[in-house]
Amino acid sequence: MAELENPPTRAAALIRTVIFYIGASGLILVMLVETLAVIGRHIAWPFLGAIEIIQAAILVSACAAMVLATVSGVHATVHLLTDHLSGAWKSALQRLAALFSALFFIGLACGATCLANEFWNAQEETELLHISFRPLRVLTAVAVASVVFVFARQLVMRSRKSPQSSQ
Amino acid sequence: MNGALGVLALLVLLTLGVPIGVAMGAVGMVGLTLLLGLEPALIKSGVILFETYSRYELGVLPLFLLMAHVCFAAGASRDFFDAAARVIGHRRGGLALAAIAGCAGFGAISGSSLATAATIGLIGLPEMRKRGYSDALATGSIAAGGTLGSLTPPSGALIVFGILAEQSIGKLFTAAIVPAITQALFYMLTIVVLCRWRPSIAPAVQRSTWPERRAALLRTTDVAALIVIVLGGIAAGWFTPTEAASVGATLSFLLCAWRKKLNWKTVRAAMTETLTTTGMIYVVILGALIFSVFMSLTGLAEQIAALVTQLPGGSTSAVVVIAILLLVLGSVLDGLALMLLTTPILLPLIVNLGLSPIWFGIFLVRTMEIGFVHPPIGINLYVIQGIAKDVPLTRIFKGVVPFLLADFAHLALLIAFPALTLALPKWLS
Repeated sequence: MAELENPPTRAAALIRTVIFYIGASGLILVMLVETLAVIGRHIAWPFLGAIEIIQAAILVSACAAMVLATVSGVHATVHLLTDHLSGAWKSALQRLAALFSALFFIGLACGATCLANEFWNAQEETELLHISFRPLRVLTAVAVASVVFVFARQLVMRSRKSPQSSQ
Repeated sequence: MNGALGVLALLVLLTLGVPIGVAMGAVGMVGLTLLLGLEPALIKSGVILFETYSRYELGVLPLFLLMAHVCFAAGASRDFFDAAARVIGHRRGGLALAAIAGCAGFGAISGSSLATAATIGLIGLPEMRKRGYSDALATGSIAAGGTLGSLTPPSGALIVFGILAEQSIGKLFTAAIVPAITQALFYMLTIVVLCRWRPSIAPAVQRSTWPERRAALLRTTDVAALIVIVLGGIAAGWFTPTEAASVGATLSFLLCAWRKKLNWKTVRAAMTETLTTTGMIYVVILGALIFSVFMSLTGLAEQIAALVTQLPGGSTSAVVVIAILLLVLGSVLDGLALMLLTTPILLPLIVNLGLSPIWFGIFLVRTMEIGFVHPPIGINLYVIQGIAKDVPLTRIFKGVVPFLLADFAHLALLIAFPALTLALPKWLS
């Protein structure tokens, strides 16, 4: 776990707390709005636009969750080979995994940024509540860029640590 | 050729320990770049990212996870085992039967095989070992019983399959009810047969008094009511799965408050667990969707379909071949990777054979479950060994063998009688 190897600094802990609150708020909002919409539907007082709020809140929560999972180092991996290795080989594979992850998310960040740029002046918004897509697209790009930063940091930390551990 | 190379590259990356979502997404992105060019590949990946993360249906996953974590914090995890142990624990093998019932009950909250095996293992294993049960039966029954968590709705694996295969999650949940019940019955039958054959492996213990039984059963009523509202609501068409998950999560907070366990520490722990697990699964889904677009462009699924449809024996022999392939792959890949790798390739084939994608979802999760208890991966075996550290892995595996046989028989039953899976959703619709 990246977090265990590199104890979080005060700034990192603060960022983590902020991300947690963003994700948790999104999730609580989804839960409450959907529950109210269900109750409203059954008492003939429909909550118009509930789905639009939920979609936006899910995106906010998902972006925060993705960053939080990366910071916590909990991404699912296959342990068939890595569990049987130790020392330099294991460290090399961890660096390789961090490199691949950073490259993949760089690709995603490019795609997300291109889309945000393309639709910037398109006045994209939801039908009923007119929630603008613009901040949501920016948030997605920022979240993916944050994941790139976390993986890049892991790569650098592991590369620095590796020569020390082999001495 | 491109498709086969893509699958090979993916297997190599997975083996090297690259995160599952990243490996699938990276292979998909590189494949799309080779087929379409760099810019279209990046734009397509960006579109998938935004559309996936803003999907209304995707809300179902974190909300069910939140419900599970809050119920766990409320202390609901041990109630089903305790109640079953009080009612049937005095019979020969009764505590092993109670562990299976506990796994089925807890599985209906957790939706995860690992969480079910770990939780019921922590409660049931010490109890069984204290009462003189053989280590093999005690560990084997919980390792196998834990797999019920993957199939019993609301199952995380079925949600992921539903999103990936664009199938109704409500229908998948309803379709899983009969297979999950019959799976639990197969395990219980295995325990009864084992105890008849070798009575010494599970001695009878002291009978609980009726007031004790009543009290234990009463403790499960609130959680049981929550499960009935959530699953019954989906089956009866009162809620969509996302609505059911929201109502379930809200009710779980009320349940936690009712049990006087609701505090900031509990909420924060439940939220942190929910968000990190959600983030991990979302990245996996994202990668799998990019990979699946690449696979659909390569035409690999159609080529495999053409090969498989030429097999003598029609769709049944094709399904048997697929089952064997999944079991072999399941011995080297973990459950999630197996599902995500095979769904884009096998689902078009299944549709081509005239079989139901809903049935395939249940079949795939059932096959995936078997991988949780057979070596070399058999992750549930390691979870159980983590709890009972003095029991060697070989003994745990020996204990799980009879349950593996029950699994194969149950899988054969699901293949032979698809109605076991499809009748309930059809009847309820």
